[in-house]
Amino acid sequence: MQYSPENVMPFGPIHPSLKEPEYFKLILDSGKIKEVIPRIGYVHRGIERAAQDRTWVKNIYLFERICGICSFAHSLGYTQGVEILTHFEVPRRAKYLRTIVAELERIHSHFLWLGLVGHWAGFDTLFMWVWKDREHILDLEEAITGNRIHKSYVAIGGVRKDLPDGLRETLLKELVFIEKRARYYSELVQSEETLSIRTKGVGGLTQDTARRLCPVGPLLRSTGIARDIRVEDPYAAYDELIPQVQSSTDGDIACLMTIRLNEVLDSCRVIRDAVDKLPSGPVRNPVPRVVPSGESCQHVEAPRGELFYFVRSEGKSGPARVKLRTPTLANIMTAIEMLKGRPIADVPIVLTGMDPCFGCMDRVSVVDLNKSAQWSLTGEQLRQYGIEYYRRHE
Amino acid sequence: MSEEAKAVGGRLGAVVETLMGCSVLQVDPAKVKEACAAVSSLPGYYHLTTIAAADRGDRIEITYFFWRGRAFLVVRTTVPKTDPTLDSISGILPGATLYEAEIQDLFGVTFTGSPYTGKRLLLPDSYPADAPPPFRTEADPEKIRKLMKLE
Amino acid sequence: MVVPLRRGRRALKSGLTPWARKRSIWVFHINASSCNGCDIEILAALTPRYDAERLGVELVPSPRHADVLLVTGILNPLMKDRLVEVYQQIPEPKHVVAIGACAMGGGVFRGCYNVGKGIDSVIPVDLYIPGCPPRPEAVIFGILKLVTGEPKDPVEAVPLV
Repeated sequence: MQYSPENVMPFGPIHPSLKEPEYFKLILDSGKIKEVIPRIGYVHRGIERAAQDRTWVKNIYLFERICGICSFAHSLGYTQGVEILTHFEVPRRAKYLRTIVAELERIHSHFLWLGLVGHWAGFDTLFMWVWKDREHILDLEEAITGNRIHKSYVAIGGVRKDLPDGLRETLLKELVFIEKRARYYSELVQSEETLSIRTKGVGGLTQDTARRLCPVGPLLRSTGIARDIRVEDPYAAYDELIPQVQSSTDGDIACLMTIRLNEVLDSCRVIRDAVDKLPSGPVRNPVPRVVPSGESCQHVEAPRGELFYFVRSEGKSGPARVKLRTPTLANIMTAIEMLKGRPIADVPIVLTGMDPCFGCMDRVSVVDLNKSAQWSLTGEQLRQYGIEYYRRHE
Repeated sequence: MSEEAKAVGGRLGAVVETLMGCSVLQVDPAKVKEACAAVSSLPGYYHLTTIAAADRGDRIEITYFFWRGRAFLVVRTTVPKTDPTLDSISGILPGATLYEAEIQDLFGVTFTGSPYTGKRLLLPDSYPADAPPPFRTEADPEKIRKLMKLE
Repeated sequence: MVVPLRRGRRALKSGLTPWARKRSIWVFHINASSCNGCDIEILAALTPRYDAERLGVELVPSPRHADVLLVTGILNPLMKDRLVEVYQQIPEPKHVVAIGACAMGGGVFRGCYNVGKGIDSVIPVDLYIPGCPPRPEAVIFGILKLVTGEPKDPVEAVPLV
C-alpha cells in the first residue's frame, strides 16, 4: 500500500490527560481508516535486560513496576515462575490471599477502565463516579497489603503478611457496596445513549479474526471464545475457587463493557468465597536461597488478559533471562483490525476498548489518500471530534 | 510429551523433548515456518502466546510458545549471531508481527517477510544499525546510554 | 494601571496576576515513559475523594493553557525531545513538578540502558514529589507547596508516603 511520505502525519505520543504515550499512523481512504501502523517504545525501559543484573528478590519490585494498574499480576507471574524452578509448594493460605488480592486488582482495573471509556466518550460524570467508587477497592488493598498501587505483596514462597484481624467484616461490607455499584453501572451502560451510540456495533471482531490475531482477555472473550487462564490453567487458589468465564458473541465495545462489569461481579463472588473458605496456616514458607538451573513458563490472567512469564535460571543470584509478554502487546494488532473501515471518531473508543496498558495519542497522524490532504489532531481534539461527530450523526 | 507433538515432530524430522513441563520441538531455522503452520493447523484450540528470544553466547535461541488449551506446545530454534535471519510467520499468524518486531529491535534477528522488516518498533530510529542490539550479552548498558545521549 | 508581569520562579509569590493564578492552577500532565502508577494517582487527585479541583487545579488538554507541568516517568530517549517541546510550549511563568521516584532520578529503573538521570537533566524542575507512587494527598500537598511559595528548607516538606 503506497502513500507518499509527506502525507503521513505524526500521531504523536503525548496524551493530554493520562497514561503512557504511543504512536499510531492512520491512513485514511474516503473518510474511513484503511490502515494503522503502530509504533510503541515510548515507555520502553529495558526491564527484561535489567532483571538480569538484579537478584531474584529485587526483581519482584522491578517487575511490579512495569505497570501501575496490573502490578500484582506481574509480581505474581514472576514469583510463580521462580517457585516452579525451586519446586516449591506455596502454603494454601498464601494461595488464597494471593487470589483475594488478584481479584481486588481485577475490580480496580475494570473500574479504572470504565471511567476512562466514559471520559473518552465525553461522559465525564461516569469517570468521576466510577473513580470515586474505585477508591473503596484501593482502601481495601491498602488495608491488606500496605499500599494502594505497587503492593509488593507477593514474596517468593507465599505472601509478605497475613490478613489483619477484623478486616474480614470490612471486606465483606465493601464487597456489598461494590456489587451494588457494578450492577448500577451495568444497567447504565446499556441504557445511556451517550455510551451506546459510541460503543454499539463499533468493533466487529469475529472468531476467525481472533484466531489469526491471537488477542487475549476480555477482547478474546467478546468474540465468543470463552477462554480464561484462571480456568484453563489454574494457578494460586483458582483450582478450588473457580471463576465463571464471562463472554459474549457481539464483538463490539458495548459487550466489552458488559463483560468487564460481569467480571467485577464474579470477582466479588470469588473474593467472598475465598474469605469464607480461607484455610489456616502459615502465609510463607522459607525458600532455598539458590534457585536451581532450569526454565519455567507459565501465565496468569491479568485484568487485561493473559500475562506470560518465561524464567530461566543458571543457578546464579539472579535470573539469566526473563521474558514476559503483556496482554496489551497481544491486543494491539486486534485493536488495529477493529479500526479498519471506521471513521477517525472511533479511534479513541476502540483503542481504549482494548484496555491498553499504555497511553494513547496526542497528535493523530492522518493520511487521506483521496484528498491527498493531511491534518493532525491532538488527543483532546480527537476526543472532542469524536463527541461532535456522534452528536451530529445520532 | 503429547502425542500431537510427536506426530508433528515426526513429520518434520524434529527432535521432541519435554522441558518446562511441556513438549518442545527443536527445529532448524529453515523449518520454523513449517512447524508453526503445522501446529496452527492441528485440530482444537491454539493460541500463539509469544515468541521469546535469548542470547546463548554465539547463538540466539528463538522460542515460539503455543497454548493448546491445556498445555503449551513449544517450537524452538537457534540462529547463529553471524547470520541471524528467520522467516517471518506473520503471513500465517498476523498476531506474531509485533513479537517478531520486538526481537528484531532488541536482539538484531531479521525476520524476512514481516511488515516490520527494516523498521524499528521499540528503539528510536536514531539507534545506530551497527551498535549491538541492547539485549545481547555484548551490549553494555553504559555505552548504550552514551549513544542515546542519556549520560 | 499597568501591572508588571513578574517572570521567573518566584512569580507566584506576589502581584495581581500571580494572586489570581494562585486560586486556579492549571496543570498539564505528561507521562514521560512512566508505569502509569503516578499518573493514576494524579488523576485520582482530581476525582471526588481527593478533589483537587476545589482548589482550582484543573487538568488541561494543551500545554499552551497550562501554568504547571507535571512530569512522571523515567524519560527514555523517544520521549526526551517531546518533553522539551512541551516545556517550550508552556507560556511563562511556568513551573515544573517532577512526580514520583522515576522522575526524580530513574527510580527503580536507574542503570537501565535507556533510562536517563531524571527530568532535571533536561528541564528545570521546581518541585519534587517523592513516592512510588506518591499518594494523591502528597500530590495535592506538593502542588499547594508550589503555590504558597518554595519551602525555606528543601527537606521541610513532610512526605506523605
